[in-house]
Amino acid sequence: MPEIAAPAAEAGGSRRRLRRRRESVAQPGRDGGVWYPRWYWPSFVAPGSVWLALLFLLPFYVVFSVAFGTVDFGNFGQPVPYYAPWWWSFETFNETLSKFYEGTAIYRPPLFRTFVYVFSATAICLVIGYTVAYYAARAATKYKGLILIMLVSPLWISYLMRIYAWQGLLEVDGPINFLMQPLGLGDTNWLAGMHVTVILGLVYGYIPFMILPIYASLDRIQESLLEAGRDLGANGRQTFWRVTLPLSRPAILAGIVIVTLPMFGDYYTNDLLGTTKTSMFGNLISEQRTQTGGSTRMASLVLILGVIVLVPMLYYLRETKRAAEQA
Amino acid sequence: MIGRHPMENRWSRRQFLGRAAGGAVALPSLSAILAACSKPGDDTGGSGTGSAATEIPIATLENPVELPVTMDPIAADTPIESGPLVLYNWADYIHKKVVAEFEEEYGVDVEITTYNNMEEGIQKVANGQVTPDVFVPTVGYLRRLVERDLVMPLQHELIPNMLANVWPSYSDPGPYYDLGWNYTVPYTIYTWGIAYRRDRVSDEDAAAQGWDALWNPEYAGEISLYDSYGDTIAVTIMRNGSLDVNTSDPALIDAAKVAILETINENEARLTINGVYAKLPAGDFTVAEAWSGDIVGAQWYLPKGTGTDVLGYWRPEPGQTMIGNDSLVVPAAAERPRLAHEFINFMLDEKHGTDNFVNWNGYQPPFTSIEPGALIDQGVVPENLSDAVVTEAMFVDDLTPVELTPEVEAIWLDAWTEIKAGA
Repeated sequence: MPEIAAPAAEAGGSRRRLRRRRESVAQPGRDGGVWYPRWYWPSFVAPGSVWLALLFLLPFYVVFSVAFGTVDFGNFGQPVPYYAPWWWSFETFNETLSKFYEGTAIYRPPLFRTFVYVFSATAICLVIGYTVAYYAARAATKYKGLILIMLVSPLWISYLMRIYAWQGLLEVDGPINFLMQPLGLGDTNWLAGMHVTVILGLVYGYIPFMILPIYASLDRIQESLLEAGRDLGANGRQTFWRVTLPLSRPAILAGIVIVTLPMFGDYYTNDLLGTTKTSMFGNLISEQRTQTGGSTRMASLVLILGVIVLVPMLYYLRETKRAAEQA
Repeated sequence: MIGRHPMENRWSRRQFLGRAAGGAVALPSLSAILAACSKPGDDTGGSGTGSAATEIPIATLENPVELPVTMDPIAADTPIESGPLVLYNWADYIHKKVVAEFEEEYGVDVEITTYNNMEEGIQKVANGQVTPDVFVPTVGYLRRLVERDLVMPLQHELIPNMLANVWPSYSDPGPYYDLGWNYTVPYTIYTWGIAYRRDRVSDEDAAAQGWDALWNPEYAGEISLYDSYGDTIAVTIMRNGSLDVNTSDPALIDAAKVAILETINENEARLTINGVYAKLPAGDFTVAEAWSGDIVGAQWYLPKGTGTDVLGYWRPEPGQTMIGNDSLVVPAAAERPRLAHEFINFMLDEKHGTDNFVNWNGYQPPFTSIEPGALIDQGVVPENLSDAVVTEAMFVDDLTPVELTPEVEAIWLDAWTEIKAGA
């Protein structure tokens, strides 16, 4: 693909320049060869590795240590992490896990809700997001920039502020119910723990992150490919299904992953638009934060959620790998 | 005690942001990592600072406690330090104007650092992340703060306003949690009751229903309970006919849990953070579990054109409900202890303390000068909220929520987790 070819050529150019500089220091014994110190290429990985180690692996290990540690009630229930794996105790973790399936299984309803909410919200995001992205990339030639700005501009205001605005809009005597009056839904109490409110809240919060990657992908599909499709006898719909959609598939997957993963851990949407009747997994975690000695339970829940979101993540990795192989 | 504090539930947007952004698990200090090889927690603390010098019993009204003094208070002639004074407090729990007056009088700055829940506040003081000069802990944490040498005894000579203005029982014999007021002065005092809209529920009707109003299907969708386990479970225990508000009986706690879930599921009762002081005046709720300070503060949240006479507060007969209070302490690590004493004395000044109460906070200091009759005559508290004014007699007669042992607290928390999970 030409887009990829261009940066490759650029990189090649800089490499040539570097090479010229390096030639002066090249070892005399190696004729014609180009010499780089052994650390030269690996060093490019260093910033990423350091970032990963310091800001991901280390904190993640601390979460393990807290989950498999204990708390000190003599010290205000502060966590006592066990950093050495040979001391790890799985008591709290197992107890937390058992609340998903044993006895009254009090953690199961929020887990179930989380799945339903996340899948519904993602599906709605995809349908609306794809349509909007398609329009912006294909049809809105003149207003493309404006549409993009309009898509991104809400992100300048804190998500929290916008959800607070929704609280006002959704009140029983608020504007939404005023608009709903003709439908006979004029006195719906949207904030009294309705599933649909939380799902739409999630859609509202995350949809820009679905639109942007899809837009970027659709915008880059070359006109000539679509024309070729038409030349070969496909009509508009067929071109979409057989050219545009397959080409935007990686972006769809990326969009799904980008919105799904944070939705699984979301708790503030429900805090502000729902009640305990619509509690999600994230609410279980945030509730433990306010409880004396809740940190081991909280860390255990974080690990359990981590395993759950690993499934869509692995699927995404497999799909992108396959796509790369096909390309 | 965590979960029993009015301000805990007053999340401003900013606070919420902070909480949302705040890390879930604090990174350990380097020394903690280095200490990782020995099994932590084998000694009592893990951090080793505990040394378990004195095991102090949990204070209750029946068994008041004199907190042991293990260090000397500061000398009365300690020079007043220059600022800034660091005040570690609940957000929006002090009138900025009163603070400004202190700044002006002493020529110092006051830095107000805030916490969102008592858990956070205590932990940051305990591990030294914040070193305040004045701290506002809930009394349920006091015993543990003293046990770990985290607060310093007060120099009584520097706080003459305590004897001059505060209810005498606070200094002689002193409150049940701190006989002889070795470590604390009271900041505010409040009771538990029911807030209601008088334009929808008559006073007689509210009094006749009592706590049961929170279970009345007539108000479905307009009932608010506090999103705080200590308060709501204790109130439900009282509603279920027991006065054992610090119970360790799993059956009582379970019955309360069932009742709370019942009103949530059948009457669409909501667990709220601002139900009383903001949403009730706005008309969203008709009845609400309430701290007296919240309903007094609610008068400033009424929409324009709505009179304060729509607000009502019912509290049970004396001895049938809970009373709580907040205290001011000087942490042992305070860098400006003398200035801290001055600040405490300043807040106990009749004018400043009353100003803080009536013009901003809604939470009342236990001053002898504050009389229900006078407050109502002056129009500071509307007549229909006269029950919300706290009197010294209540402090003697009413029930007090006290610190629960970790084992008992675990039962309460399990019940609450189930309620919060929406099971």
